[in-house]
Amino acid sequence: MSEPDPDNAREAIEYCYEKGWTDGLPVVPASRPLVEEFLARTALAPETVIGRLEQLGKQVTVEQAAINAVMAGCRPEYFPVVLAAWAALMGDRAARGGGWQSTSGPAPLIVVNGPVRGELGFNSTGGVFGPGFRPNATVARAIGLIVRNAFGIEPHVLEQATQGLPGRWSICIGENEEESPWESVAVEAGLDEHTSAVSATLLRTCEYVDNRHTQDPEQVLADLADTMARTGALIFREESVGVVLCPEHAQMLAKAGFSKSDVKSWFIEHVGRTRTELRKVGKDGLSEHGVRHAAETAEGGEVFERFMSTPAQVPVIVAGARNAAMSMVVRVFGLWTGTPVPVGGNP
Amino acid sequence: MVNAILDPTGGVRVAAAKAVLTPRRAQLKGATVALLENTKQNAALFLDELGKLLKQRYGVSATVARTKKSFAQPIPADQLEELAATCDAVITGVGDCGSCSASAVADGVAFERRGIPAAVICSDAFVVTANAMAELRDAKGYHFATTAHPVAVLTPDQVRKRAEEVLQEVVAILTARS
Repeated sequence: MSEPDPDNAREAIEYCYEKGWTDGLPVVPASRPLVEEFLARTALAPETVIGRLEQLGKQVTVEQAAINAVMAGCRPEYFPVVLAAWAALMGDRAARGGGWQSTSGPAPLIVVNGPVRGELGFNSTGGVFGPGFRPNATVARAIGLIVRNAFGIEPHVLEQATQGLPGRWSICIGENEEESPWESVAVEAGLDEHTSAVSATLLRTCEYVDNRHTQDPEQVLADLADTMARTGALIFREESVGVVLCPEHAQMLAKAGFSKSDVKSWFIEHVGRTRTELRKVGKDGLSEHGVRHAAETAEGGEVFERFMSTPAQVPVIVAGARNAAMSMVVRVFGLWTGTPVPVGGNP
Repeated sequence: MVNAILDPTGGVRVAAAKAVLTPRRAQLKGATVALLENTKQNAALFLDELGKLLKQRYGVSATVARTKKSFAQPIPADQLEELAATCDAVITGVGDCGSCSASAVADGVAFERRGIPAAVICSDAFVVTANAMAELRDAKGYHFATTAHPVAVLTPDQVRKRAEEVLQEVVAILTARS
């Protein structure tokens, strides 16, 4: 075999830039033989429609998804994970609605569970939010390229992100099932632990909580809850905000007797602000559509408003290394569906 | 043999320029005008104020206030039919987000093609995305009214002033033939 020709590669990469097909980084130009290798990994026919956006009159086929997955740098064996991640996102009401066009510029959070993590090399431990791992990096990027190229949602045109968020199209994490004291998000949803599956939602942002400061589980929970209850993130009466706990925090909580469900209940009880605090930031009033605004008169200043009322609003995931007690608060754009999609279709 | 580089977009669709505006424009005197607000902050007040001005100055006899429940999506078919069957013209808005400005334009085009003159109001920060939606609906160059961004934070008095400012353009869209 002759050595790869960098000049040909450059020419092909520049061609894709000129066509407007990239997210700003170089893409792998897709050839028919390579796309066929991807298509061979799914039982779905290439012309199968796997997503529609009614408001734009746009749709995505399996073949378009394969071309974009190639361009993102995926290997053929990743393609079933891309399809599962895509299906999980199309199950998200906000993503089907105006999410991709939104001024919020939300990013998908993709969570991979089950044996496929080990088989394909998805990172679920140190540096799980990236970069450095091809499956994590390219599966997330493939979703972004599908949205751009197949749905035609390009920045500054149909995509109207005011600022967007750091990490858009790059947040794909394996759940650290091996070091989690609890059932995984897939098992929580009723799948068995031998089934590989992908869950996904749209995020507004992530924010770390570094608490290596106490052995009291309720103090750790209170620290997390304080960050979860940021008023800047609050738009409506209620919100959906989860945590990606590091193994150390999760294990500390489990050792103190907290089940995952107990953790969610604790957050539902404690994530909120008093009306006085909300008034300070102009978010103490509510419109008839449930949107917050500055109320005309101050009432019930000591009343504590909880921002969540159901466990579905609080996804709890475990990922990262066990080397420090720092976790991530993840702000859901719509509502976490809690519905993982099995890799390779329904078992 | 050299392999071609495959197109990830499904092929570039050339926007057709099909007729948009219904030829029969609105006669405002004695008309019933639908005010379709999209739940965005201040949208209902903005349209309500326009309705009052149309009654006072242009002889509109009645307004029908409706809410579009899902601002990012096209108007549901049954709501479009209801308004088309009962009203002579429609005003909709306010498009002041990425998805709702685009979908407001889609609704305006849909009403016109259903035979009902329609005026869409978008904030001027969303002109590009609103125009892109018009192209997707084969309505390149579709004219909508704009108001300065932002709208959501305005006081009621400021909203009334905005309605006053955009009134003539709304009337022109509803009554002019091109």
